[in-house]
Parts: sequence; structure tokens; C-alpha cells
Amino acid sequence: MNWKLITDDGVAASFGLAADDTLAQRVGMNLSQPTLRLYTYHSHCALVGRFQNVENEVRVEYCRENGITINRRPTGGGAIIMGADQLGVALTIPGHDEDNYSHARELMGIFSEGLVRGLNQLNVEARFRRKNDIEVNGKKLVGLGIYRAPSGGLLFHASLLVDLDIALMLRVLNTPFEKLSDKEIDTVAGRITTVRRETESSISLDEVRRVIADGFVSAFDVNLVPSDFTVEERAQITKLEQEKYLSEDWVYQTTAVPDSNGSAKVKTPAGLIDVSVTMAGATIKAVFIGGDFFAAENAVADLESSLRWHTSQPEKVAATVEKIYQSRKNQFNGIQPEVIIEAVTKAVARARVAESQMRADPYGCYVNPGGQYA
Amino acid sequence: MSNQTNSYDIPADRAYDREHHMWAQYDSASNQVTVGIDTLGLASLGDLAYVTLQAVGMPVKRGESMGTLEAAKMTGDLIAPVSGVIVARNDSVVKNPSIVNQNPYSDGWMVVIKPSDWENESAQLVSDDGLPAWVESEIKRYRSQGWID
Repeated sequence: MNWKLITDDGVAASFGLAADDTLAQRVGMNLSQPTLRLYTYHSHCALVGRFQNVENEVRVEYCRENGITINRRPTGGGAIIMGADQLGVALTIPGHDEDNYSHARELMGIFSEGLVRGLNQLNVEARFRRKNDIEVNGKKLVGLGIYRAPSGGLLFHASLLVDLDIALMLRVLNTPFEKLSDKEIDTVAGRITTVRRETESSISLDEVRRVIADGFVSAFDVNLVPSDFTVEERAQITKLEQEKYLSEDWVYQTTAVPDSNGSAKVKTPAGLIDVSVTMAGATIKAVFIGGDFFAAENAVADLESSLRWHTSQPEKVAATVEKIYQSRKNQFNGIQPEVIIEAVTKAVARARVAESQMRADPYGCYVNPGGQYA
Repeated sequence: MSNQTNSYDIPADRAYDREHHMWAQYDSASNQVTVGIDTLGLASLGDLAYVTLQAVGMPVKRGESMGTLEAAKMTGDLIAPVSGVIVARNDSVVKNPSIVNQNPYSDGWMVVIKPSDWENESAQLVSDDGLPAWVESEIKRYRSQGWID
């Protein structure tokens, strides 16, 4: 079986996203061939997830002052920055008539296999981590997302960090940190990794792109045919770019589900635990667990990752924390799971209180959906 | 009566779209169909974080979008199980999708549709005697794929 391989660099955010969206739609209608796109964006852009509120996720003023474009992905998840050192991966395939592709959760693991095999070629011990990351020893290396187009076509999106300017990322994106110092940068650096860090080399993006392409060939038993967009595809991409991805209605749309933040500190004999949560309604979007206790960094990262996009129901939070704790019991150095559960639960409760206070404020920042894409 | 296996409750008082795991409950008195997502659909997607639904008065077509969703990182469309016009929308689930996660068959309903061809389209849904075998095969498949214990 042949897939098209399109490699383009320095693309505008609006074009890159319109191209992926268009191909997903067309491949579902059998108007385009399955396509693997391995590309980079013009440095830099900030891309929020499908339902995120830009103002909550991105420092808009900083972006404007520094020429960083902002756009919205069709796929979900959190905000990211993309540029010349981050490889964008977009696989578009028909989603119907094939049972293997009909259920969401298995898709992420299946699609990830191409990336994992490619990274393994570089001796990077990458593995897919449910629900939506590829990690190396507990550190996130690739963010993943899937969008199912109305036509049934599937878009598998991934952002692979060949390298990352963490300080820049923290200036562009809103974070739970009250201030931004070397400590905060080090903290984030402990949660994520890059290909260059893992390989201890200055490997080029092109070389990474080559092994990722090989990984997909190996995982899916396909031939990749170097190609470009067809005339029809390009015309449709341009139209969608104009109508959707260059539209403020799309980029700055808001959702009815309010975001909120909360934090809690719990003192223990083993040290202070400081938890910050970011919520989307009743769903935990992100958790940051800091403090002055000593625990294996990977164990903390594992815990944080397991609680991302997790229900805030206390018994389910407790079950997840217990599960991670049991698998990494010796790595928390005396910090008991009950303490972590208490801190997360308190932070969630405070976020919910903050959210309800904002809802009561008619001039709050959460407004009802508007515009054609709401 | 319901087909209950583990926590995957598939009430037998309604019909189901076998591909998209949407339920459709027909009320003959009003000739209206209430629509939501079933527990197996939720098990596959993970908890919903965001939902949008088309507005009251909008026409919908079986197999096409009646809204959008995000669950974990999967985004996509909510697919209408029947054609017709939306006559009611559950704004509570738009503001708080966790209602769907907690009560997909009651408070978590999404829209009410005035169907345009219930007689023919309902025949394409699975219901009544067809439910046990369908539920069993879906659960078996989910289990083999490791999504449920």
C-alpha cells in the first residue's frame, strides 16, 4: 500500500492546520490518498487545543509583541509552541469501513507505533503512554491528538520535540507558576525531554524526520511516496485557511465550559507538598505537584500525567493516585498517597469555588459560545 | 430490563447506533426522539471534557454531525442516529459535560429530535432482541483490546 509523504518546512500556522484538516476531510471521502505529513512551522506559533480559550492558555500580548502567531488545532489537548525544532506529524487516513480504526482509544496506540519505532532507531527508549503521550522514562517527548472529520477521515496529530526553548515556551504559554525563574524552568525541564537531550547530540530535524518516516513504514507496512499537495488539495486548503484558520471566530472562540485554577499545600514530615490544578469544568486538565519533598522525578511526572484529562470525582482521583503509588511505592520516599490525594482534592475544590465565583460575576472572562464555530 | 455486564449498562428501553454508540429513545406520543451517548461509547472515548450541540431548529441527518466533542485528546463530531430537526438541546451538558459521564441515559441526554423518517431509520438501529448479542460482542471486543477488565 502507498501513502503520500509530504515534507514541508516553515509553514504558517494557518496553512499547516488547514492542510491537515483538509486532508482529513478529503481522505474520508476518498478524494485524497492516505498521507503522512512531516513538517515544521515558521518559528514560532502557539497552538491551542480544539476547545481551549486562547486568553486562558496563551499570553496574547507577549505573542503580539514578539510576532508569535496564535491558532487553534482541530485536535484536542493543551496549548503548545511549534517552530523549526519541533516536528509536526499529521497522518490522515480513511476512518470508515475498517473496524480497527473505529474506536478512539486504540487508535492512539496504533498510530503512535510509527513514532515509537522511529525513535527506537535512535536508541531513544520511547513508549506510548495512555491516554495521549509518548514518553521517555516518564518524561514527555511527544504530544498526541486525534480528530475525526465529519467525512469519517481521521487525523492523527503529533508534536515531536527535537529541541525546545523552555524559557520561551513559559513566556508564551500561561502556566501555574506565579513567577518565572530558573527554578520553574528546571521544574518543567524535569517533566519533558527532547530528542537532542535523549541522544546527547545535535541531531538535525531532517535526520529525525527520516527515522520517523522509517518508523511509519515499519509499523504500517506501507510505502511512502514523496509527494506534494495536488492542485485540488491546495485549492481546498487555501479556501479553508481563509474561511477558518485565518478567522478570529475560529481562533478566539470560547467554550461554555469554564477553566479554573486552584492550589493547595499540605505539610508532611517528609516535606511540603504544593499542588496546582487547572480544570475544564469538572475535568482536571493539568496537575503540577511541587514542594520541597524528595521523590523520584519520574514518579511525580507519572502521577501528573495520569491525572491529566481526568475526572475530578474524589474516589476516582484516589484510585488513580493509589494505582501509581502502588507501582512506584519506593519512589515517593515516605510521602503517603493519602497526602497527595488530600492535596489534589483540596486544589480541585478551590478551583471549583473560584469557577463558581467567576460564573456569578457577569463581567467575568467566561462568556457563552459565539461565532460560527461555537 | 437492561443488559448489564460489569458497569456497562445498556438499557433495553431504547435503540442504539451500533457504529457511533449513540442511543435514541422514541416517544410515540410526541413523535420525538431523545438522543445521547451510551456507556460503551464513553468507555471507548474516555470521559467527555467538552461538548457542543447544534441549536434548536437546526436540521440534522442520520450519520452526520449534530455537535462536537472532546474526550481525552480525541476530538470529533457527535453523530446523529436519526434525521430530523432539533427541538430541544440540553444546555446543562454543554456547560458541564461531566453530567454525561455520570448519567449518560438520564440527565446526560443531549438533544431531542423531531424525526423525519423514524420508521425506516429506526430499523437501522439495534434494539430489543438484537441487543444482547450486540452488547456481548462489543464488550468482548473492548475486553480483548484491553479497554475494560
